[in-house]
Amino acid sequence: MILDSDSSKPIYVQISEWIEAEILRGHFTTDQKVYSQYQLADRFNINPATAGKGLTLLVEDNILYKKRGLGMFVAEDARERIKNKRKNQTLKKLIFELVLEAEYLDVDEEELVEMIKSIKRKGEVQ
Amino acid sequence: MSVIECKDVTKVYRNIAALKGVSFAIEENKITGVIGRNGAGKSTMLKILAGFLKETSGEVHVLSERPFNNLKVSANLIYVDDQMSLPTSLTLSDILECAGDFYRNWDKELANRLFDYFSFHPKQRHNNLSKGMKSTFNMIIGLAARCAVTIFDEPTIGMDEAVRKDFYRALLKDYIAYPRTILLSSHHLHEVEDLLEDVFIIKEGKTLLHVPLTDFKEMAIGLSGDLSIVNPLISDKEVYHLEENGIKRTYVVVENNFTEAELHEAKVKGVDVSPVSSSDLYVFLTNKTKGGIEDVFNRG
Repeated sequence: MILDSDSSKPIYVQISEWIEAEILRGHFTTDQKVYSQYQLADRFNINPATAGKGLTLLVEDNILYKKRGLGMFVAEDARERIKNKRKNQTLKKLIFELVLEAEYLDVDEEELVEMIKSIKRKGEVQ
Repeated sequence: MSVIECKDVTKVYRNIAALKGVSFAIEENKITGVIGRNGAGKSTMLKILAGFLKETSGEVHVLSERPFNNLKVSANLIYVDDQMSLPTSLTLSDILECAGDFYRNWDKELANRLFDYFSFHPKQRHNNLSKGMKSTFNMIIGLAARCAVTIFDEPTIGMDEAVRKDFYRALLKDYIAYPRTILLSSHHLHEVEDLLEDVFIIKEGKTLLHVPLTDFKEMAIGLSGDLSIVNPLISDKEVYHLEENGIKRTYVVVENNFTEAELHEAKVKGVDVSPVSSSDLYVFLTNKTKGGIEDVFNRG
């Protein structure tokens, strides 16, 4: 993954989302150790403090837990927590933007729902 | 622990004040970006820290010592810029050899590997190098010296795009392996921002801002929309930038202390809310007027 410096998402948020994606993909499982801030810094070419901030974010959300001197590990139920978080934050935000744009274009609810359905039918999104 | 501490530092050249009372502290093993416009006082400040210049007034402490004429500071600090005066009678490989005698932590292997990677010839002389090659060679010395305090003043001058990238990569990798206090000056914030932990902005000889880079990136937000809607939203905010953006529309950059709900409401009212890149914000903050160059051409 390449980080986007100009994105509205701060780099450390992008780091934490990348780790979340790795957990969702099953690359990291419960109680497995994840990358250290230094490994992340090297991999993404960023300051280790920024990488550390991304990890801290995941600890605060109980997706990772810290073992002193050993590193960060995937918490139990991490996948569920990530999914819930994305549903309540990312998806909600996207839908908000979608509804806003629809209103701007005078697309009513029925038409909007139909558009979503047709995209699902065509299998454009799985 | 603070490795560098400055209090009310001024520097007057003849009768021009380059620094007008700068105070700051730099903690150990952080990479700090020293950012400012041309003539803001970056190099003067860094040269005072390196002990090359003596402050006119104020207090400067580097590794708990006053840096001017100080051997302890000289042995533990390296200042790299494009004007490093290296002996013209020595070949490049001789210079690396000598530098190794100077600096206690000198990594000879790293120096040689970088030397070969950037295709230097051992028999070349420093004064015959092109601008970019000179910067590259100086950078090798700066990295391999591995000083507790490492100052790079505009290190990428003349380097081509590929070498710049290589330099920043090398700097980060060596920093991860051997953490040390690094000051990196640049007027291109965009180029260095990912490497930095803190950013220190100098404007007209004074400290404008000294904050973690992540805070800097979140301190401002851009709003564009109808004047009648945007203006009430920003009445109590600090405005960093203001421009006309179509008929009765405006684009403003203001301090970002809106709540999620406030931003949500603004969006519903048709205001475009956008992030402000750190380099744009830096330009806005260091402009003399809120409209920048546009103001020169707006004669009312």
